[in-house]
Amino acid sequence: MGSLVLVVRLVLADVRRHRAQAAMLLLAVAVATATMALGLSLRGASEALYEQTRAATAGPDVVALSGDTGPAVTSALASLADDPKVIAHHGPYRIVYADLTTRGSDRSPAGPAPVSSGVVVQGFAETPGTVNRPLVTSGRWVRPGGAVVERGFATALGIGVGDHVTIAGRSYPVVGIAVTAATSIYPWAAQIGPYGGPSDSSGLVWLTRSDARTLAGRDLPVTTAIDLKLRDPVAAEAFAETFEEAHHDSTARMNLHTWQFIARQDAVILSNSQPILVVGSWLLGLLAVTGAAALAAGRAVEQTRRAGLLKAVGATPGLIAAVLLTEHLALALIGDALGLVIARLTVPGIAGPTASRIGDAAGPGGAAVATATVLAVAVAVLSTLRPTLRAVRTATVTALAAAAHQPRHRPLLTALSALLPTPLLLGLRLTARRPGRAVLQAWSTATTVIAIVALLTLDSQAERGYGLNGSSALPNLRGELDRRLMLAVVVLLIALAVVNTLTLTWTTAMETRASMAVARTLGATPGQISAGLSAAQVLPALPGALAGVPLGIGVCGVFGARNVIMPPVSWMLAAALVTLLVTAALTALPARMAARRPVARALSAESA
Amino acid sequence: MNVPGVPDPVAGPVAEIRGLVKVHGQGQGRVRAVDEVDLEVPRGQTLAVMGPSGCGKSTLLHLLGGLERPTRGEVWLAGRRVDTLSERALARLRRRSVGFVFQAFHLVEELTAAENVELPVLLAGRSRREARRRASLLLERVGLAARARHLPSRLSGGQRQRVAIARALANEPPIVLADEPTGNLDTAATLDVLRIFEDLRTAGQTLVIVTHDERVAATADRLVSMRDGMFVDDTRLAGSSPRGLDGLIEWEG
Repeated sequence: MGSLVLVVRLVLADVRRHRAQAAMLLLAVAVATATMALGLSLRGASEALYEQTRAATAGPDVVALSGDTGPAVTSALASLADDPKVIAHHGPYRIVYADLTTRGSDRSPAGPAPVSSGVVVQGFAETPGTVNRPLVTSGRWVRPGGAVVERGFATALGIGVGDHVTIAGRSYPVVGIAVTAATSIYPWAAQIGPYGGPSDSSGLVWLTRSDARTLAGRDLPVTTAIDLKLRDPVAAEAFAETFEEAHHDSTARMNLHTWQFIARQDAVILSNSQPILVVGSWLLGLLAVTGAAALAAGRAVEQTRRAGLLKAVGATPGLIAAVLLTEHLALALIGDALGLVIARLTVPGIAGPTASRIGDAAGPGGAAVATATVLAVAVAVLSTLRPTLRAVRTATVTALAAAAHQPRHRPLLTALSALLPTPLLLGLRLTARRPGRAVLQAWSTATTVIAIVALLTLDSQAERGYGLNGSSALPNLRGELDRRLMLAVVVLLIALAVVNTLTLTWTTAMETRASMAVARTLGATPGQISAGLSAAQVLPALPGALAGVPLGIGVCGVFGARNVIMPPVSWMLAAALVTLLVTAALTALPARMAARRPVARALSAESA
Repeated sequence: MNVPGVPDPVAGPVAEIRGLVKVHGQGQGRVRAVDEVDLEVPRGQTLAVMGPSGCGKSTLLHLLGGLERPTRGEVWLAGRRVDTLSERALARLRRRSVGFVFQAFHLVEELTAAENVELPVLLAGRSRREARRRASLLLERVGLAARARHLPSRLSGGQRQRVAIARALANEPPIVLADEPTGNLDTAATLDVLRIFEDLRTAGQTLVIVTHDERVAATADRLVSMRDGMFVDDTRLAGSSPRGLDGLIEWEG
């Protein structure tokens, strides 16, 4: 009991004394776990939204579509409706493929200019049936001469009830906005395109049956569809397979889309988001470890002394390890909880990039929570391992008299660096004598470059807008979401890398203040000391930046699409160069501050 | 019945070392910090160890308290051989049997004076209430009851050392080892510390004090002088009688 009180007391006291460091670790872990939990939650969230929409709209279990016409199609659709496994159906109904143009408004993405898009018009009864009853979220259901626009499409177009849309040259007032689970989210409402082929980038509009028939009379492509409710919805895929096998030789081509297929298609819009977030969370986790290790390196002397005096009064090595681990573990777990809350709050905004679905996106599930917690614990353990081992292994007397880390003497390097200008001489010696710190700096820089290469790669992909014929008047929502997420991850990675660079520079400056003061007494100027400290960070950053380019290409190759287009090499090298320059600039401030410390004070502090 | 060669934990010396050798460094840099030393510290004795810098007196104290392991020889504390114990067992022994007072105080900077004193009590597995009671009692004893809630950074050097002494006494150890306890203190603070040591001596506490300061050594029952890792003199003193300490106070005044 006493030991427990002691551990808690020491942990709380240390956190109180080093609030900024505790906050840094907590935030770094929160950012990493939030990103990971978010990435892992997306698929489940998309499915949850589909399920809720399906429940609210009596979504069909199977939608059968045919781009053909004639008795064979009518017979095939009738046989489907009469199948003993089918308990209810809606249709057949007409689907017409046309163009839609808005009048343009301030809500439109193109502003007051008109926006055109491909549209799928479904002819529905004025009183919906028992299967596929679209849920009207504003306005009312279809009436003669009036159109109901699918909510995701309406949001993309920036239109609402009372606006007018022109479909195949005829103007219709928008009388309602609705959602359905019978088609995938915007922009994949078409399911199959004109004449039965694949289709992309079109929205959904409902008209009355007679209006749809009139529209079809204008020589527009038409598809016939029927919505089916099965006795066993889970067996929808087996039902579709059986039907397709049985009608393999039929003259009427039929496409059967199960509700599972539609749900999977919904998730396509997030298919790039998941790797962006999950890979991003790995990198953020590693940077969190780097940052925590940098902080630990800066506190090594203090921690070792503290361990020494605890040992002197009777603390066992196990208790000392428990104190160090508990502190980091507690902070990491708080960060983890914070990250999970952030993920929960953020999921709805990311999981539903279109407004085609209703309901609440599910938050991180058990697997996501467990994985994020493993990440948090790994950050805590990895960042505590070295200081814990050092504290436990250092003899008590040595620990009590702990002085700044005494680096190894490297005669060859000392001789070689003597040929260099003073700042480079100092920088090279500082780097070579603290290889662990150099590795942390190199990794931090490499991560930044990897992230920037990924961002450049994403920006290099050819992208069709969702407007008519690929026009960018309607933005590509999937690309926009990917870019937003990538930008957020890159900003977080760079922010952590910046903090790491500042911490590494400052801790190196503090650790070497005595030797730098001696260099001052020998004639080195504050400018040379400052430049030397900056060089000590920039030198390991150089291989880090260079390694970041191929690593970034590798990450994009592994996690990107097969036909990913890489940005020009010159762009990536420029990114590496800019990263190096920014690193140099960032190190200048702490280095200058450290170099300005009075020499006498630095020397006397060390000898005290 | 005593086992031959094993000190009696009750009647025998509190601390005993036999043929103790401690070698630092390797090769040409080898230094025999403690060289074939034997010593017995009887219960209730205040022993001062003096000698020039680097003569091995602090190393001797660290060996005695189990902070360092000897190269050769035996160390016995409260009837128990300690040089063969594991690190974990040594830590447990230090909780109960040894109190340390260091020149640099070595207080946990983020804990208050009272919390620092409670530290060994809690380590010994006693309750929080008991730890608080002991801390309160001991801080009262060293005249710092009013400063119990102060962090070390808000205490003077002398006050910090008094907190360190209170901490050393927290588990009522049979022996207190003090390494240059007045080395960082001014005269007034030194006298405060000496008064506390005098109280401890009167109460029968065994004390081993390593010091450079002849004024401190003069208050002991016995003075051992060291040079090059060996004892060169072992003298019985009159001890820190009230008259002796008063004389010192008068002299300093």
